[in-house]
Amino acid sequence: MSHDSNPRRLAEQPLPEGCTVSRRRFLEGIGSAAGLLAAGTVPAIATVAATAANASESVSGEPEPGGGIGYLAEANQSVNYPGKPVHYAEPAGDQKWGMVIDVKACIGCRRCVYACVKENNIGRNAGFTYIQVLEMELGKVDVEHGVLDYEEAGRPDKWYMPVQCMQCAKPTCVYGCPVIATWKEPDGIVVIDYEKCIACRNCMVTCPYDARHFNWVEPEVPKAEVNPKVPLEEKAGVVEKCTFCIQRTRNGQTTVCTEACPVGARKFGDLNDPESEVSILLKTRRVWRLKEEFGTEPMIWYVG
Amino acid sequence: MAIVSTTRPGVKRFIGVDFDLGSLRVAGPRYWAFVSLLFSLVALGVMAWGAALTEGGSVMAMRDDYPWGLWFANYMYYVGLSAGGLVVYASVHLFGAEQFKPLSRVAVLQAGVLVMLALLGIITDMERPARAVWMLLTPNPTSPFVYTGSAANIYMIICFIDLWILITGKGGEKLAFRMTLIALPFAIYLHTTTAFVLALNKSRELWNSAVMVPIFLTSATASGIALLLIVAYIMQHYRVLELTSSMFRSLATLLATVIIIDLFLLVVEMLTIYWPTAAKPGHTIRFSHFLTGEYAKFFLPVLVMGIIAFALLASRKNRHMPAIQITAAALYVVAIFLKRYSLMSMGFVVNPLGQYAPPYVPSLVEVLIALGLAALGVLMMTVAAKVLPLRVPEEEHEAEHRAAHTDAVAVGSLEAG
Repeated sequence: MSHDSNPRRLAEQPLPEGCTVSRRRFLEGIGSAAGLLAAGTVPAIATVAATAANASESVSGEPEPGGGIGYLAEANQSVNYPGKPVHYAEPAGDQKWGMVIDVKACIGCRRCVYACVKENNIGRNAGFTYIQVLEMELGKVDVEHGVLDYEEAGRPDKWYMPVQCMQCAKPTCVYGCPVIATWKEPDGIVVIDYEKCIACRNCMVTCPYDARHFNWVEPEVPKAEVNPKVPLEEKAGVVEKCTFCIQRTRNGQTTVCTEACPVGARKFGDLNDPESEVSILLKTRRVWRLKEEFGTEPMIWYVG
Repeated sequence: MAIVSTTRPGVKRFIGVDFDLGSLRVAGPRYWAFVSLLFSLVALGVMAWGAALTEGGSVMAMRDDYPWGLWFANYMYYVGLSAGGLVVYASVHLFGAEQFKPLSRVAVLQAGVLVMLALLGIITDMERPARAVWMLLTPNPTSPFVYTGSAANIYMIICFIDLWILITGKGGEKLAFRMTLIALPFAIYLHTTTAFVLALNKSRELWNSAVMVPIFLTSATASGIALLLIVAYIMQHYRVLELTSSMFRSLATLLATVIIIDLFLLVVEMLTIYWPTAAKPGHTIRFSHFLTGEYAKFFLPVLVMGIIAFALLASRKNRHMPAIQITAAALYVVAIFLKRYSLMSMGFVVNPLGQYAPPYVPSLVEVLIALGLAALGVLMMTVAAKVLPLRVPEEEHEAEHRAAHTDAVAVGSLEAG
């Protein structure tokens, strides 16, 4: 799914003076958000959502243009940006990328992980993946006791939480890099200059999400599977991480994990665009972020 | 004027320093056997480094769960030892502890050599050493690495300049005093920034504690003094220096004082980790590996050895005995290494996503590199003991007693007497 396929026009309708969120708006909000998340997989719900979305056309809108989330895109500024574009991707547009992951829908199948490995030329011998799916106990968000190497997915007595680079608005890795070999682009993507990284690995130490990984061996990818749009040899002996599929998202595509998810649990889009799925979910659903108390302002939200 | 001149037979004078090369010629076979042993260790280390450069990081035991390994434990350890030795030298000038005066040249040499080892350790870890130039070209002010790296480099230069000033006597007592005013704060700054590399990570609960900095400083001072005490005994044994037993007693007293502060800070930290109103799960889970987990065999000895070392030195009756002093010092030098090693690896044992990693054990390549570096340090001290005039001339010593520092001497002689 791409981020511009959204039927709702909430932002355009001004809320009447003194009006709080009505019960009806609350309900249609939930309905449409659920529809967005389940779209493509559960047609029945999607139909309901579509109905709700149509209904919403005639209801009241938002108190302010950003819908209350404008400050998120605003906070998502570039950090340590040296002014030169990443050599393998287009220059940044005026988007601010963000992602919402529905952990209620996630079944822990790891299809996003496999798709990501293929898309981003992660060495098949590297021993890491950008995305790590944690199997968690019901009843708490207890990362300390999460299980990474679970064998059976989709257990009803567990829940699943994919973790990857959060493209933080206040990225500790970028602050920690001694040589400015990693920075945050104007569109919010944290990138690494593979030609500059001195391999001190301070970014790995300072990242609270274990999102950065070092190529201890030369990454090996079968010739037929090499993605020519993503560096490969340059990554030997340096740190790499999720880039929100910068080579795709800056060409109008969505991230490969979003595309690969069989239950549509991932939504990727532009925070600047009030009609993007991500913006609408942030406005209508109650979301949380991993380790919010650290103040890193991650740009991946969880909802469930 | 020739750059190298001969002052006495066998003695070459270069940049104002008398290098006693003749003494190498008359050195005994045991000396040369020791030197060649060190040389072969250094050679092994160089070969291991070559393997690491050609094979890449896979020959190291470090992995994503342990992004830093033995080299980093050694970095903290050497920097600490270095800073500690300098405290003794600085106390000569700042606190008028004149009884340490005969040690000043050795203390500064030791500080310089150790911080050099720390820096070389970083280079051997880098897969692309040439890229280190970016540290100079585009330093990032929010990275603690920039501060500790630059501080270590500048500190090393300060140490060697200081040694030169001490040996040549250029600038007299005044310049030596000024150098102390620079060198001591720099030693503290260097070790504070090293502690910051660990402490300034909110992602690593175990390290993210402000008490990390004072603990680093006290551990550093204690281990540095302990190592200096051992080196001083060795130097005395081989007649490089002549030292009095009252000097060793003062050194031992200083050591005991710093050890108890070090242990106190550790207890304070442990209390905040386990006290029910303060305990945070992330911190408690990680620290518990120190006491009950697989790292207990590294960390419990730190506590045991620290307490034994203090107990040995605490008793006034035994403090003057060389055997007691050397045992306590050796215990603490080893204890601080284990502390650094377990602190480094324990910070990683549970990663930010709560995943447990089996204990880090350095690979052969890493051990050989570390041994090679340590051997290089001992080699430099061994050669310097023969070649450099490390002995502080008696007349200089006497002259200062009479000179301007009368008030300071009074304070110092309290300790000495």
